[in-house]
Amino acid sequence: ETWRYAFEESMADVQGVYAQKFKDEIEANSDHEVQLFPYGTLGESADIMEQTQDGILQFVDQSPGFTGSLIPEAQVFFVPYLLPTDQEHLARFYRESEAINGMFKPLYADQGLELLNMFPEGEVAMTTKEPVNTCADLNEVKFRVMTNPLLVESYKAFGATPTPLPWGEVYGGLQTNIIQGQENPTFFLYSTKIFEVTDYITYAGHNNFTTAVMANKDFYDGLSADDQLVVQSAASAAYDHTVVYQAQAADIELAKIMEAKPEMVVTVLTEDERSCFKEAAVQVEAAFIEMTGDSGAKILQQLKDDLAATAN
Amino acid sequence: MHESSLPGFLGVIDSAISRTESFLLATGVLLMAANTIANVVGRFLLGNSIFFSEELNRILIILITFAGISYAARHGRHIRMSAIYDALPPRMRKILMVIISLVTALFMYLLCYYAVKYIGTQASRGRILPSLQIPVWVILVWAPVGFFMTGTQYLLTAIKNLTSKDIYLSTYVLEGYDEEIEI
Amino acid sequence: MAATIFSVMIVLLLLGFPMMIPLIIGAFIGFLMMFDGFGQMETMVQQMLAGIRPASLIAVPMFIFAADIMTRGQSAGRLIDVVMAFVGHIRGGLAISTAAACTMFGAVSGSTQATVVAIGSPLRPRMLEAGYKDSFVLALIVNASDIAFLIPPSIGMIIYGVVSNTSIAELFIAGIGPGLLILVMFSIYSYIYAIRNNVPTEPKATWRQRARTLRLALWPMGFPIIIVGGIYGGIFSPTEAAAACVLYALILEVVIFRSMSLDDVYQTAKSTGLITAVVFILVGAGAAFSWVISFAQVPQEILSAVGISDMGPIGVLFVISIAFFIGCMFVDPIVVILILVPIFAPVVKSVGLDPVLVGTIITLQVAIGSATPPFGCDIFTAMAVFKRPYIEVIRGTPPFIFMLLSVAVALIYFPQIALFLRDLAFSK
Ligand code: NA
Ligand code: NA
Repeated sequence: ETWRYAFEESMADVQGVYAQKFKDEIEANSDHEVQLFPYGTLGESADIMEQTQDGILQFVDQSPGFTGSLIPEAQVFFVPYLLPTDQEHLARFYRESEAINGMFKPLYADQGLELLNMFPEGEVAMTTKEPVNTCADLNEVKFRVMTNPLLVESYKAFGATPTPLPWGEVYGGLQTNIIQGQENPTFFLYSTKIFEVTDYITYAGHNNFTTAVMANKDFYDGLSADDQLVVQSAASAAYDHTVVYQAQAADIELAKIMEAKPEMVVTVLTEDERSCFKEAAVQVEAAFIEMTGDSGAKILQQLKDDLAATAN
Repeated sequence: MHESSLPGFLGVIDSAISRTESFLLATGVLLMAANTIANVVGRFLLGNSIFFSEELNRILIILITFAGISYAARHGRHIRMSAIYDALPPRMRKILMVIISLVTALFMYLLCYYAVKYIGTQASRGRILPSLQIPVWVILVWAPVGFFMTGTQYLLTAIKNLTSKDIYLSTYVLEGYDEEIEI
Repeated sequence: MAATIFSVMIVLLLLGFPMMIPLIIGAFIGFLMMFDGFGQMETMVQQMLAGIRPASLIAVPMFIFAADIMTRGQSAGRLIDVVMAFVGHIRGGLAISTAAACTMFGAVSGSTQATVVAIGSPLRPRMLEAGYKDSFVLALIVNASDIAFLIPPSIGMIIYGVVSNTSIAELFIAGIGPGLLILVMFSIYSYIYAIRNNVPTEPKATWRQRARTLRLALWPMGFPIIIVGGIYGGIFSPTEAAAACVLYALILEVVIFRSMSLDDVYQTAKSTGLITAVVFILVGAGAAFSWVISFAQVPQEILSAVGISDMGPIGVLFVISIAFFIGCMFVDPIVVILILVPIFAPVVKSVGLDPVLVGTIITLQVAIGSATPPFGCDIFTAMAVFKRPYIEVIRGTPPFIFMLLSVAVALIYFPQIALFLRDLAFSK
């Protein structure tokens, strides 16, 4: 049988690395074939999600930031300073978290989706035209964010002017100075060439980009026990492969950026410099709870407990 | 503004629909310009972007497209490649035009049906627009309406061709690109 | 499956069905065959709506609106009077100016369709008046607009850069050489055309006359300033520049020149909406059709049959050119880039081709494709805006396509056309 798997990034990005490993595992351990559809080949993020819900696609990778318009609680991953920057801690957390494996699973199931994995894509970096050392440096900076209410709230709280701009216009917008900053994981800064039009990369540790892989639920439930096991083991193997890959990817990609643009200034903010960002995070957390009510508050608390439990 | 070629009460409805479509087209374009400019002014002068600006334009483009395809069908303005058609004798052209109108109407009605189903699915899933926080299905309702109206225009064109001597591109436009219709 | 669908589409197209129908039926058959029935037709509607979703498409109705206001009012006429005063006495002067205007406008607006409308609407009547044949005028407008793809900012290059992991800055610079080369070739052709067809020239204007046209065009001169200054000055995006032009055009025509009433504005908005709808329903139907091609993995199957992995660099470049040329004949350029680039990526790497060169060649092919029959968005736009039949819009295109293809071949054998400026700028 041919299974189809669509994701939001190109083949060489983190989601592509996961997808290829997943495909290899399935094909090595069963007679099924997996066809991969990278970014844009079957539509945008919302389109491939719907196609998976319809059962046209069997597997999809969609980041919770986009799923937020379908499952509001998924936006919890945009609460700043919720997730640690320690990649090993994160790797344990996503695998063992009760919030993800116990609480999010039924929320996705309500939408006809079997949640297979959530995994980290790397720490989100701010790239700007001017140095950023404190919140004050973001004052008056038109900062491009996805049109997600929590991200908008975050950058407002940081003191920037959050500015929506379609992704296709971000490169040009930075070049002509319509906007002066944007945020993305390091590998994405390299692969989308955003580094060419910004001069400062700043790590404030405020967020770690999370993504989720799911299957169509009817399809998954209809699989034989053997095939379900094949899917689960493939997801698990792809997870292990990807967390190792992505832990190094940030450094490798940053090195590539430095080679292509030696004058790039990379700053990791100190605890002290981060304090104002952390203070702002409180406000965003409140906004999240206001948006999602009890259900959101419970998930948030469980995530915090899970993070504490997996700390060492 | 033309008067409907349909008789009696149907004609009144038809004219009213035509006027509504042209109003939606013009207003849609004007609002799109106003919205886009307001966003620039907001961002550049007031330092504050309009977050729903992009979503509003998306609503307007769906409105314009689907009000427009019906209006275009009414005025015989849909693009076609007529070289071979034009070379046929009148009788063949008439038969072909009836077939073209009926097939087009059929597919417009089919798309209307599937658009209604698609909207139903969207509504059941509850996806919302991130900035405006309104359900996505609401902004799509123009699609089935537009498909239905367009299908009806083509169906009426087929009937018009069957019941009259001349050949019609739409319910009131005679074939031939030469008359430069001002709309 | 692909062969059946393509044949049905061509037959329907030739019989004179509205252009959206071959695309819709093509997609319909695809869904029927792939999913054994009508079960997944909702996705067809999804993709039709997705096709008209991209925010950058808003530039098209906005530029159509602005151009329509300028043409119905006085702004466009006054601007063209300036051009005529300076080049009217030169053989082919107006045609060359049109090509140059398309290149410049296309460069900043980034939209070939917007260029067809914005430059074509005001200049076409003048060229007809001046004695050029309509088939030549239409072909010139449609093809010169495509240079927009090659001159930065180019959305095609941005997409290619992201998908293939290639420097967008280098791509932008590499596109300038071939873009200008095409402009020069079009200009030479226009000159020869004007001589061979004996297009009359006007008497040379005196400097006094020129000064007069300049003075009258003082207000309309604001348009290029708004577009170029606004975009490069970081005030707005190309899409927003289009809306700013609408506002400026309204101020000029309604308030300053008083050449339009509010009712005229309303009628113009309506006509803009109509043209937008006629073109966008094709964009939507095309998106549904592209989805079918992508889902069925048609390009992968065709390419594995060609045996590209055994070819040398020149052979690979030819296969890439042909694949993009054919793909863009049927499917939206952006989608073609997204689907085909990853398929070619391994072989481009293994034969050691410069990805910037490949990107430039692909962008050129994509540009050619959108002006090439049977399905070309610029052709549709020209038909909708100028109300001319299909056959007349494409009649004059063969010489232009020939010139464009020869540039494409030249790029394969003389990569320096594209890479010279890049190497200079990035000191490679
Ligand atoms: Na351009
Ligand atoms: Na084409």
